[in-house]
Amino acid sequence: MDIPFLTIAELGRAYERRDLSPVEVTRALLDRIAAHDGKLHSFIRVTEGVALAEAQAAERELMAGERRGPMHGIPYGLKDIVETAGIPTTGHSKLRQDHVPTEDAEIVRRLKAGGGVLMGKLATWEFALGGPSFDLPWPPARNPWDRDRLPGGSSSGPGAAVTAGFVPAAIGTDTGGSIRGPAAFCGIAGLKPTYGRVSRRGVFPNTFTMDHIGPMTRSAEDISLMLQVIAGFDPTDPGSEDCPVPDYRAALDGGIKGLRLGLVEGWHEGAGAHPDLGPAIAEAVSVLRGLGATVEPVRLSSLRDYTDCKTTISSVELYAIHERDLRTRPRDFGRILRNRVLPGALIRAEDYLAALRWRTALAREQAAVFQRVDALITAGARTIADRADPDQPDRLVSAPSITMPFSVSGVPALAIPCGFSRAEGMPLSLQIAAGTMQEATVLRIAHAYQQATDWHRRHPVLS
Amino acid sequence: MRDDLTHLPASTPNDIRALVERAGLDLPEELLQQFIAAWPQYEEMVRRIPRGFDYAEEPAHVFRPTRIAGETD
Repeated sequence: MDIPFLTIAELGRAYERRDLSPVEVTRALLDRIAAHDGKLHSFIRVTEGVALAEAQAAERELMAGERRGPMHGIPYGLKDIVETAGIPTTGHSKLRQDHVPTEDAEIVRRLKAGGGVLMGKLATWEFALGGPSFDLPWPPARNPWDRDRLPGGSSSGPGAAVTAGFVPAAIGTDTGGSIRGPAAFCGIAGLKPTYGRVSRRGVFPNTFTMDHIGPMTRSAEDISLMLQVIAGFDPTDPGSEDCPVPDYRAALDGGIKGLRLGLVEGWHEGAGAHPDLGPAIAEAVSVLRGLGATVEPVRLSSLRDYTDCKTTISSVELYAIHERDLRTRPRDFGRILRNRVLPGALIRAEDYLAALRWRTALAREQAAVFQRVDALITAGARTIADRADPDQPDRLVSAPSITMPFSVSGVPALAIPCGFSRAEGMPLSLQIAAGTMQEATVLRIAHAYQQATDWHRRHPVLS
Repeated sequence: MRDDLTHLPASTPNDIRALVERAGLDLPEELLQQFIAAWPQYEEMVRRIPRGFDYAEEPAHVFRPTRIAGETD
């Protein structure tokens, strides 16, 4: 068995049959990380001792017939803005390079209770926003498909580590696309759940009103398994929603015959979009139609509008979080983060409130569309992964984002691979979004697509 | 028709310097120059935000006192 590329589902079945053990899998992945991560920089810190102890505990329990759930004995990594008691949590920043939390984030508590095996803390853009940066204490992660390119961000380490076969699963965070972007650029699956579906407690904030925590794996099925463990109400997170958590794995089955899908016009084509993206999305639509879904065109506000709304809100909330450090130690910020946080000091309160009122209007626009379609289809990214160029201009504002519309509305959105660019051989991605708390619908569509295609089964060869 | 602020003139470097000072920030000159170069695209972004909302249009932030009261139960 090719251990590095086994999925969570396949590992679970192998554990049940006792074909593999958690310790055996953990050791194999630790060896792979040691052999290859020196060139990919996906880990800030490998927690070998923790991993082996948790794997041994899981192995004892599984051998005794105790099964805690789908993450039992499954190795995973955490983006390094997720707090871990006794293990440094740096935000990939000089500002917090010595920070050792005393408590676990709520999602870590849930993953521990579910028997997961923590392999380490993963690279991020500085505090999940400032990147790609080359002036931080750790280098930026690289894309396993092409080390001269980046994995996207800000969940750069999770994207690279899952793609490289270092872990079958990772936790990322997504404020404007930081799970879906790296998933798209690396050719894996990444879910931004509904705002409030997964607890934010113990995760360093980026934008209070738009921060989402979610799984990054190699298949939609695996997303469903990891989401099952981390989803659910947390009274200590003010944004947490007290809604029942469905059986996401069970919801995958049944196909998509009769589902109504909306293909968003004007978002994934035109200026700035990779020329292979349009044909790849058209082919994906053809596959979905072949599976019995109907697909109709849908018009929404422009990406420019969504990007302006999101970035204005984010800039102000970011500044509120980082103001003290900007006053006292501005040189300790990476250049990109500093220049993305400072605008919040100049944006007026009335501008912020106008953006918040606009957000309500934009979310209503999507809610109306979800009255007539079950899900929306678009691309997961408009380009392929960028080259690793320290002098590249900052495009956070100038390049309209195809992930931010669903950040603004807070609905669940999943990126999965749907092809490769012809000239560069880099992943292309499909994005599926549905109404609030409709993660099961998104996952069912993605699972049906992945049963009919094999893009998600292609992996880079590491040298 | 959209009601925004795109008709306003762009801030000059001196304007930006003054705005940073008014915000209470004391940036080293090198960092200030970096920010003076970065700010114009943010200013353009903020000025594109529509302003013509009805009085009853609430912002996306909602204050829910019952939720806060529940935290202390």
